[in-house]
Amino acid sequence: MKESLLDILCCPLDKGELELEVIRENDDEILEGRLVCVECGEEYPIEDGIPNLLPPDMRDEAAA
Amino acid sequence: MDDRSGVRATYERIAAHFSTTREYAWPEVESFCAGRRADTALDVGCGNGRHADVLAGHAERVVGLDASRALLSAARRRVPDADLLEGDASSLPIAGDTVGLAVYVATLHHLPSRGLRRRSLDELARVLTADGVGLVSAWSTAHDRFEAGIDADSGFDTEVDWTLPGGETVPRYYHIYAPAEFDADLGASDLAVVESFLSSGNCYAVVEPA
Repeated sequence: MKESLLDILCCPLDKGELELEVIRENDDEILEGRLVCVECGEEYPIEDGIPNLLPPDMRDEAAA
Repeated sequence: MDDRSGVRATYERIAAHFSTTREYAWPEVESFCAGRRADTALDVGCGNGRHADVLAGHAERVVGLDASRALLSAARRRVPDADLLEGDASSLPIAGDTVGLAVYVATLHHLPSRGLRRRSLDELARVLTADGVGLVSAWSTAHDRFEAGIDADSGFDTEVDWTLPGGETVPRYYHIYAPAEFDADLGASDLAVVESFLSSGNCYAVVEPA
């Protein structure tokens, strides 16, 4: 994801702002990382350049 | 059938084949976008990106959101410049008052309860800017394949099989909207309807924040 996208993203649960933690990036975008809600602390992974901002209950069931 | 994860899993499974059958943008979406322009455009339920591709001609930034990771991978190939997000239409991870142009087509009918469907309409209203506009569509009882007909009071839940190339079928959840029910759900939401119409068996509404 491009870092500029952060301007319009929020936590799907409480709409709190998200903080970006970069694990791996290239010149254009963040490839791996985390988005962390400053309100509730929920962490949303960025994998292969695409943030997963599904509510955690949907994310976890799908992973099972 | 109140199972968003189940709908998501279905599309994860059929994504590769489904995507190859969704090559062309719907003319209703192209007509809606014609003459409109926004800083940020959003496609809720973007699938393989065929409508994000249209939006790209009408906005500085295009955001495509889908619950299926596999479909987003297809979208990335088709619309490499779009910002793609894995997310849920009934709890959008998008800040309020940021989207000037939105399409939410052929997705509302996959949300497995009326509460979730109505919540997704409120979510769309929340993210639209004051002068923002959106196009919402859902499959309807007006379609020839359904017996209920255009004048039904309420829609119904059903499963429509997707047939994979090997002949295996995968059921997909749908709520088929009666046009009156589509209007009622929009009327109860935080969206105002500018125009509503039927086309090719789908209910459509052009909406703005109420």
